[in-house]
Amino acid sequence: MQPAAKSSFAERAATATPEPLARAVRGLSDRAIAWLFISPTMALLLAINIFPLIWTIRLSFTNYRANRPNAEVVGVGIDHFADILTDPDVWASMQATAHFVFWTILLQTLLGFALAWFVDRRFRGHGFWTTAILIPMMLSPAVVGNFWAFLYQPQIGLFNYVVSFFTGLDPSSFEMIGSVKLAPWAIVLVDTWMWTPYVMLICLAGLRSIPDYIYEAAEVDRASKWRQFWTITLPMALPFIMLAVLFRGIENFKMFDLVNLLTNGGPGSTTEVASITLKREAFEKWRTGYSSAFAIILFVTVFGLANIYVKALNRVKSR
Amino acid sequence: MAEVLLSGVSKRFGDTEAVSGLDLRAGDGEFTVLLGPTGAGKTTTLRLVAGLEKPDAGRIHIGGRDVTATAPAPRDVSFVFQQYSLYPHLSVYDNLAFPLRAPARRLPEAQIRARVEQVAELLRIGDKLANRATQLSGGQMQRVAIGRALVRRPNVYLMDEPLSSLDSKLRAELRVELKRIQRDTGATLLYVTHDQAEALTMATRIGVLDRGRLVQLGAPRDIYEDPVNTYVATRLGSPGINLVPRSLFPGVAAPAATVTIGVRTEHLRVQRDPAGSGRVARIEHLGDQNHLHVTLADATVVVLADPDAPLAVGDAVALQLQSPLFFGADGNRLRH
Repeated sequence: MQPAAKSSFAERAATATPEPLARAVRGLSDRAIAWLFISPTMALLLAINIFPLIWTIRLSFTNYRANRPNAEVVGVGIDHFADILTDPDVWASMQATAHFVFWTILLQTLLGFALAWFVDRRFRGHGFWTTAILIPMMLSPAVVGNFWAFLYQPQIGLFNYVVSFFTGLDPSSFEMIGSVKLAPWAIVLVDTWMWTPYVMLICLAGLRSIPDYIYEAAEVDRASKWRQFWTITLPMALPFIMLAVLFRGIENFKMFDLVNLLTNGGPGSTTEVASITLKREAFEKWRTGYSSAFAIILFVTVFGLANIYVKALNRVKSR
Repeated sequence: MAEVLLSGVSKRFGDTEAVSGLDLRAGDGEFTVLLGPTGAGKTTTLRLVAGLEKPDAGRIHIGGRDVTATAPAPRDVSFVFQQYSLYPHLSVYDNLAFPLRAPARRLPEAQIRARVEQVAELLRIGDKLANRATQLSGGQMQRVAIGRALVRRPNVYLMDEPLSSLDSKLRAELRVELKRIQRDTGATLLYVTHDQAEALTMATRIGVLDRGRLVQLGAPRDIYEDPVNTYVATRLGSPGINLVPRSLFPGVAAPAATVTIGVRTEHLRVQRDPAGSGRVARIEHLGDQNHLHVTLADATVVVLADPDAPLAVGDAVALQLQSPLFFGADGNRLRH
């Protein structure tokens, strides 16, 4: 009986120590519960992001065609990549993309910042005007694309009428969408109309983040409005402006919907931006393997550029 | 340097009257401290002088010139804000040089450098000149902000609680430093604080504000010893002045209308006396002095006592008043 009495003291001490809650409930460790909670997200991410990416990489080395599922799939090595990088049509579409991205970003940043600056003056009714300015951004790209296609109609479109009203040109003397010279600018104009408000919103957040007392200090230090703008407003809003440029840049690099609805790459291939080319290769010519390779090249390009840019952005922010 | 004169200045923000009918003269070369609790209108007064706010009524003169409607820049004042109002993307050097680079001045760069280095040395931030403003500690940032005011020779320096964000050691050092700078340069300085130690140690004159009005203006000693009412009396002194009902000291000769007797801690003599009406409730040992909390009927008074005084908690004591102050029912001072 003596040994039993001794061990019962140790037993009692052991049972008196409470177990961690997780183990007491289901026999699971905290780590296991954490895994349990994130596994649905992980599974979803794997299924809809990671797996397709890996599958696309695999397809890009084959001659697979999605419209001929039963045909034999042959590995072609890096042929598709070599073809794409040496194809003048692809380079033409990259140039069209670059033109579109460059001009939309330039115009949207300048206009967006200017609008933000005016709205930040807090004039009478600035709340109403902010909302009014934001409307284009809230519309669906499909609606915007279709409506601007109507507006650009040379005979019945409002755009040509308005231009002719102010310039005296004959409204049917030019076609925004139909002409090789004007079509690239037609899509730049619509994208700028639609997305300048977005840039304005981000710039406005930047301007509002600058505390008033910094301006007051500058005022007392006898800095002119001009100097205040260059030494306070612009440097302090710069990280926000750069962020807007990043978002718009990525978005416009893969621009598809507006261009597809307005010009569908035409006339000829003047406005055939990269994603239109990609769509044609993938779903009109059904060259699935080839377009997979193209998609990967585009992805690496955007990813690389965005990474370089984010590094620059962080440098600006840490100043 | 110049004299600052406010006459009948009022300023409302919506329903709040921040400053009402304020008359104030900050003399040329004087260190004037505006003292008062939060919401007394100190900062608004300073902003009105700087031109950052426009008064609803009244006139403001700087150096004899009416500047009521003038923008901040031509008033030629410098302002130290309570927040660190540095230009975050500029280096410490460029922050300090900023006011000197105003187009109105056109100083040669060598002169700017000399001036900036001199001020940086004074504020002990000479080794931080190349740093970005955002890489500094709070205390260093505020010193840069003070430095930015000092690099100029404005008509008047305006400072809005510039030391409130610093630790007590640095605060004590800069207090002495600011006073020295002001005396050496003969600058007119208008300084806002709610810290009585700053007011007492630096001020040539203290202006006590209450709800947008100037209650009393005078030398620190006068404000301390000769307050016009209980409000002013309680602004200065630590621990604060004892305000007790007149009835507790029936033996003291006081004006007939006296309701409250004010007596500072150092003006109470305490003696052990078994027949005394007071009782020691608590003793705070501060090293060089003791604070005795003595209960007297239903009131408690704090008495400054010699740390060697042979008194213990529970002792019965008698209190003697020296130079007591008498206040009427409205809180105003009564004189014999």
